[in-house]
Amino acid sequence: MKNILVVCSAGMSTSLLVNKMKETAEKKNIEVKIWAISEAEIKNHIDEAHIVLLGPQIRFMADKIRAVAGTKPVEVINMADYGTMNGERVLNTALEKIGDAE
Amino acid sequence: MEGLEMYCVELITYVGDARSSFIQAIGAAKEGDFLEADRLIAAGEESFINGHRVHGELIQKAASGELSHISMILVHAEDQLMSAETFKILANEFIDVYRKMGCSFRV
Repeated sequence: MKNILVVCSAGMSTSLLVNKMKETAEKKNIEVKIWAISEAEIKNHIDEAHIVLLGPQIRFMADKIRAVAGTKPVEVINMADYGTMNGERVLNTALEKIGDAE
Repeated sequence: MEGLEMYCVELITYVGDARSSFIQAIGAAKEGDFLEADRLIAAGEESFINGHRVHGELIQKAASGELSHISMILVHAEDQLMSAETFKILANEFIDVYRKMGCSFRV
């Protein structure tokens, strides 16, 4: 079971993306936990995550979040994938990065 | 996902990316890297213009009566647009101030 934490400024647009990612995971029978939060809550969720994905709107916080995340990968979601809500591509990239980190 | 939501997400992505660039530009200027600050402002403006294009399409839809309801995600998108606009003005002001400080330090 892989845990993917998706973060944006309010956790609103990422909630839509998370739904898309979950749809893909269900279709492909991939066991994952994916959830969206706002950047203010990150400290309460980071322990559980295998990877942290950031929306383009909080790209400027990436360094601060990396400092909190320690060795866990922190990735900014590709702008085109985010804008088109391409859950499949975001999920695939996240799983690849988790694989690289292990 | 319905059409309106996709417009909103596209708008949030563009103006959110612009906002990130503007904030990072202030950080670069603070470090004295004005070349990077200028690059980030230019990148931010490009995304911001794209966001405005999407926003224009939304306004046209509203004007022609195609926008049937006001949703939370639409309000959120407008909020992000305003925030990016504010940061654009502030980032340029901050960078000017850091530039002037840099000049006076060199004297």
